[in-house]
Amino acid sequence: MPETREKLLEVRDLKVTFGNRRHPFTAVDGVSFDIYKGETFGLVGESGSGKTTIGRAIIRVNPVSGGQVIYKGQVISGKVSRELDRQVIHDIQMIFQDPMASLNERAKVDYIVSEGLYALHAGLPEEERREKVAAALESVGLLPEFASRFPHEFSGGQRQRIGIARALVMEPEFIIADEPISALDVSIRAQVLNLMSALQKDRGLTYLFIAHDLSVVRFISDRIGVIYKGKLMELSGSEKLFAHPLHPYTRSLLSAIPMPDPIGERNKKLLVYDPSVHQYSETDPPLWEELEPGHFVRGSRRELDQYRKVLGQ
Amino acid sequence: MAVFRLKDSKTQKLADSLESQVRREFTEEELFQFAPYDPDAGERGGYSGYSYWRSTLRAFRKNKVSMFFLWVIVIMLLFTFVEPLLPYDKEPNTIYHSEQVVLDLFTRQPKVDAEGNVVVKTDLAKDIKPCKEFWFGTNVIGQDLWSQIWQGTRNSLFIGFAVACVDALLGILVGVLWGYVRKLDFFFTELYNVFDNVPQTLVAIIISYILRPGISTMIFAMCLTSWLSTARFVRNQVVIIRDRDYNLASRCLGTSTWRIIRKNLLPYLVSIITMRMALAIPAAINNEVFLTYISLGVPLETPTLGTLVEAGRKVMSEAALRYQLFIPVIILATITISFYIIGNSFADAADPKNHVN
Amino acid sequence: MPHENDIILSFQDLDIRFTLRGQVLKAIRGVSLDVYRGESLAIVGESGSGKSVFTKSAMGLLDANGTIAGGHIWYEGKDLAAFTTEKEWLTIRGKEIAMVMQDPMTSLNPLKTVGDQIEEAVVLHQGLRGEAAKQAALEALAAVGIDDVERRYKQYPHEFSGGMRQRVVIAIAVACRPKVLICDEPTTALDVTIQAQILDLIKQLQRKLELTTIYITHDLGVVANVADRIAVMYAGDIIEVGKCEEVFYDPKHPYTWALLSSLPQLGVKGQELYSIKGTPPNLFYEVHGDAFAPRNPQALNIDFVERPPFFDVSPTHKARTWLLDPRAPKVEPPEHIRHLREQGGKSYA
Repeated sequence: MPETREKLLEVRDLKVTFGNRRHPFTAVDGVSFDIYKGETFGLVGESGSGKTTIGRAIIRVNPVSGGQVIYKGQVISGKVSRELDRQVIHDIQMIFQDPMASLNERAKVDYIVSEGLYALHAGLPEEERREKVAAALESVGLLPEFASRFPHEFSGGQRQRIGIARALVMEPEFIIADEPISALDVSIRAQVLNLMSALQKDRGLTYLFIAHDLSVVRFISDRIGVIYKGKLMELSGSEKLFAHPLHPYTRSLLSAIPMPDPIGERNKKLLVYDPSVHQYSETDPPLWEELEPGHFVRGSRRELDQYRKVLGQ
Repeated sequence: MAVFRLKDSKTQKLADSLESQVRREFTEEELFQFAPYDPDAGERGGYSGYSYWRSTLRAFRKNKVSMFFLWVIVIMLLFTFVEPLLPYDKEPNTIYHSEQVVLDLFTRQPKVDAEGNVVVKTDLAKDIKPCKEFWFGTNVIGQDLWSQIWQGTRNSLFIGFAVACVDALLGILVGVLWGYVRKLDFFFTELYNVFDNVPQTLVAIIISYILRPGISTMIFAMCLTSWLSTARFVRNQVVIIRDRDYNLASRCLGTSTWRIIRKNLLPYLVSIITMRMALAIPAAINNEVFLTYISLGVPLETPTLGTLVEAGRKVMSEAALRYQLFIPVIILATITISFYIIGNSFADAADPKNHVN
Repeated sequence: MPHENDIILSFQDLDIRFTLRGQVLKAIRGVSLDVYRGESLAIVGESGSGKSVFTKSAMGLLDANGTIAGGHIWYEGKDLAAFTTEKEWLTIRGKEIAMVMQDPMTSLNPLKTVGDQIEEAVVLHQGLRGEAAKQAALEALAAVGIDDVERRYKQYPHEFSGGMRQRVVIAIAVACRPKVLICDEPTTALDVTIQAQILDLIKQLQRKLELTTIYITHDLGVVANVADRIAVMYAGDIIEVGKCEEVFYDPKHPYTWALLSSLPQLGVKGQELYSIKGTPPNLFYEVHGDAFAPRNPQALNIDFVERPPFFDVSPTHKARTWLLDPRAPKVEPPEHIRHLREQGGKSYA
């Protein structure tokens, strides 16, 4: 039972608002989920759904306007003590989407990878620092001699691995991967996904994997949350989600996965999600309910009953 | 045989190893057997050997015109220091006299006094056109224009460099903090709005009245206001790159603000800052000319291009004396145009988009 | 339906070179490819494989440091490779061959309303004026699936979502009534759900307007639904070309195997995905033999020595790999490929 596992991260009713008081824009609206130690939690949604904002709110790049982020039982959103700040920097790291934009072009790989060490282990002997960089590079399958080169000399996949090495050198426990492969060539995606799985196995890492493509998330995640316009629509174990997608938005995402199968593709029917089908009202507001163990769906009373019927079959 | 046009030793080594692989001879049977596989081999490829600064310099050097003007500036600067050491040099502030043999009014023969000596009249050597003795001629009170010009150029360039340096230092420091540290944004913006509304000329006038006129006063007066626009410029540039992913990554790694400024922001701004500096130098020199024109410049005994142009302007109406205006103006124009062209082509060269060929 | 003998665009022994920092890069190395009238062809390859350069050469859109060093591009009896002036290209570009790029924002003018931009194309290419032009522009917007056209007509590109913007770009491209439409990664910047809709749209337009479409993509998964034929490109060379079913269900080149089996859609959780090691070769060097050999665990010795010729698999399917030589040892495609054939290709003989 997943509930008995240790909760590493809890997101409680998270709300993130941008803009000024006159033109507020709520990017994330009351999102709650838990991430257990050692698992991969996939967060799926289209661009503008707020999935990236959630990741950035957890790592504290975006300020939180409501709710809490709790890491190992301690609230890390808002003002925190110096010690906790250091711990969070040490424990939580991020992998970015675009390997072309996420590396400092004017710095050598050596500096990029060891950047975190300068802040956290100030006064680390040069010898040790170099060893750590070489080890981090090797753990992502790059040659240690690459340390003396600049990022633009590398291909997209290699650059993304440099980005992973930069996070790994901190020896984090929790990594937020924000669309780590969507900017990469398909041929390179497998490399990075394999690397992430292998690192998880070796180091017991926990991932928050953010993506817009359900097929990728299915391969790597244990549990998946589907987000639409700042609100969670459905949350479930990944196989369960694929077997019984309940929410119409989840179903439209599933139908859009391109398969390398020409005959199958020709017979496929594309579902387009239309939010107006819900007909939510004051008397019948949307609820967030657990329909079977670990499977949450957002819907009105009437819809939830329908979903229960589907599950019963 | 393939011809490899490569200079880099690393790439050469790689090419050699590829060559040797090709050169091996196989029998037909061997040809269709599996080759040994080295999974790391693919990782080594793709080495581009690109270096930002090397490519920038390369692109800059390719531009013949700007290289020419760069040499012009370098030679001019060096010459202003070498010139006083040259033999036959004249003091810029010495007033020269000429001796003329006085002719007898009637006989048109040299006048001879009672002791039999030729009578000589001493006069200011003023307004002498460029000649063998005075290469650029003399001015209205008989000072040597050649040495005045070079001393003036040196003083003006000094003013230009000094103002540009202070400008850059203060402007970058304030601009980066203003742009990157969000909490300071409001404070600096208001500060800028207040100071920017004070006319620069007014500040210069007040300063020159309060302090003793001289080069340092001039530099001080110009620096007091010029860094403002640089700070604003740098701030806008920082805001553009502030939230790029690589800066977010640094923040996630706990990198200090100071280090982010030094390692993430400034290296990206170097090229545009250099260009602004290159334009700030002639701007300061021209500013000095202007201040001298409204008689707030440096005292006359310190020649600058400003005082020289101003002196030349006064005699402009007399065609024979226009060389006194033209010579400093030509020098001034050369400096301005050179820096302008160098600055622009450096900015082009520093743009990675122009590094392709 | 494509007419196999009716070739609209033909590339013959095309060589394209770039000069980069004093070195010569061979971006396209002697590539020949026929495009049939009315078909939909997908060119698939990694970034840097030359797929974009290849198609851009047919529109005269090569970067300034790139030149066609050899070969021909035949279009309706004209050799586009011999074009030298911009004037010549203007008779082809947009009018005959149009292009949809990856990022819709860069192909739209942010300062003009969407309606004006479409109308411009209509006026230029269909010779309509005034109210007729506006009507045609409104129709073009409706044709690409944009609702409420009267209001949308007056809006600026930034008021559109990414998918809607791409629809506008397509409307502009199609408004010029081209015969060939090149779609360069038309959906890479878009969400999966939007991607499927855009591909659907292009497919519909192709049928309705009898277009010939050329897709350029790095994602084999995306084109299964839309392509009649597929050409796989690697290191500036086409290494396999065939009908869509042939390439998906019976691929022959090890690189095509690798591309297909590394798709995450085919992965099983807990197992390692198939992945291609390393990076594509640096085209500043002379490529000897099969360019994919250094990354191919099952490469033959001959792959390092001699460039493989095209071996015919069927009249419509050919591949450049020594594995098809009768002297070569038998190498089975990876499990995923066989699985795909059994699963999807049941009806494929």
